[in-house]
Amino acid sequence: MKNEEIIHADEDGFFTIALNVNGELGHMIVSRNETLVEALRHYGWKGTKKGCDTGDCGSCTVLFNNKPVLGCMMPAVAAHGGNITTIEGLGTVRNPHPIQQAFVEAGAVQCGFCIPGMILSTKALLDKNPEPSEADIRKALDGNLCRCTGYVTQVQAVRIAAKKVKAMKKQQEKLAAKELAAEKRKAARKTAKKAAKKNK
Amino acid sequence: MSEIIFKPCSLKEMWEEMPNLPESRKYMAGGTDIVTVENAGFPSSECWIDISDIPELATVKEEKDHVFIGAGVKLNDLETYPFIKKYCPALLAAVHDFASPSLRNMATLGGNAGNASPCADGVCALVSLEAAIVLRKGNAERKMPLRDFFTGPKRTKLEKDELIYGFEIPKKENLLGQYFKLGPRAFFGISKVAVALSAAMEGNKVKYASVAIASVAPVPLYAAKTSEYLTGKELTEDTILKAADIARGEVSPITDARSEADYRRDMSGILLERALRSFLN
Repeated sequence: MKNEEIIHADEDGFFTIALNVNGELGHMIVSRNETLVEALRHYGWKGTKKGCDTGDCGSCTVLFNNKPVLGCMMPAVAAHGGNITTIEGLGTVRNPHPIQQAFVEAGAVQCGFCIPGMILSTKALLDKNPEPSEADIRKALDGNLCRCTGYVTQVQAVRIAAKKVKAMKKQQEKLAAKELAAEKRKAARKTAKKAAKKNK
Repeated sequence: MSEIIFKPCSLKEMWEEMPNLPESRKYMAGGTDIVTVENAGFPSSECWIDISDIPELATVKEEKDHVFIGAGVKLNDLETYPFIKKYCPALLAAVHDFASPSLRNMATLGGNAGNASPCADGVCALVSLEAAIVLRKGNAERKMPLRDFFTGPKRTKLEKDELIYGFEIPKKENLLGQYFKLGPRAFFGISKVAVALSAAMEGNKVKYASVAIASVAPVPLYAAKTSEYLTGKELTEDTILKAADIARGEVSPITDARSEADYRRDMSGILLERALRSFLN
């Protein structure tokens, strides 16, 4: 078990916290009343949007230890030692994540402000439940408000995303199996060669 | 004045370190209520004790005569325990009405009780389940019925440094539970009024009933008269209407930013009717 920790504020009232954002381990200097979304945006992760600031709209959703949380409701200091995934951690413009692709294909993005939160909520849903029903989808996106659409296209997007993620996983498994088989063959050839040498 | 944030890994460590911490200190679990208060410009504390990583507070277990839920259990995790489904159906029903999925990954029942808002969904369900709250300070422990824990809006019987350790919910066989809430939206809003009903039925006869109503009194209200009236009655349309009338008499709502007193009074009855009808065979 790790030891207890006391984080002291420096003379100006700032705390230094350590956290892992999208696989990059680093430090952030934050003030006491800074929220996680403010700290993230301050450090350049601007994909996370700040909407209502009262925990109502869900546009600041990020994954904290693989679970969706609201960035505007979490004091940055409380995130100390955690793993955070923002929308930047999923994919890029040139190499989008299947969920991002699905949202584009379904036409679920209008102004786009709610979409980073929606996509991260979707990721958490599909990690837990690869074949969600419409009710599951609506329940998972419950806390992400969208003022442009009527949520119809987004539900569709999640359906497409589920298929894409499944296909991606299957392909990854296939590739892994192929590699494993190749390695096994290599090893078998090696032992066969050794045996042949011995016989000589 | 330097501020500090203290993140203990066990309760033992926390109590040992306590004397060395600044006098003005407060506990923080999910932080969701604290952040909203801070945004509104309220004064803050010199020292925050972040109890979100303490494993003792995150336990859920089934004991001989009760179910224990630690104060630091995240609401979304409750659904994973089969005995919660069996013995705390009203609580599980309330979880779906409790804020949004992402907030449920942060919020805790201990925080819900500590914040002492009369509209707390989790607390209202626990009151209807006749839960007891367990408080700890060092090695001293005390228990009281959760309904007696609150003294007013945002005020509780917590003493300085006392920690909400968890909740004990008595086991009752064949318990049914229902939670109906009216908010500004279908989901994810603060309640205008909410009714939690826990009951055991024998055919259409009510063997046991316990009603709690949120947002209609200075504290989450245990509707004692309504519960007493319902217990032992045959559930007919007449009894349902009479029970709703008694509930309307028991509440003392106010008009505020969220709703009006008359509407709240009326809806306490209507929601109770709906909850009771759902138990009819």
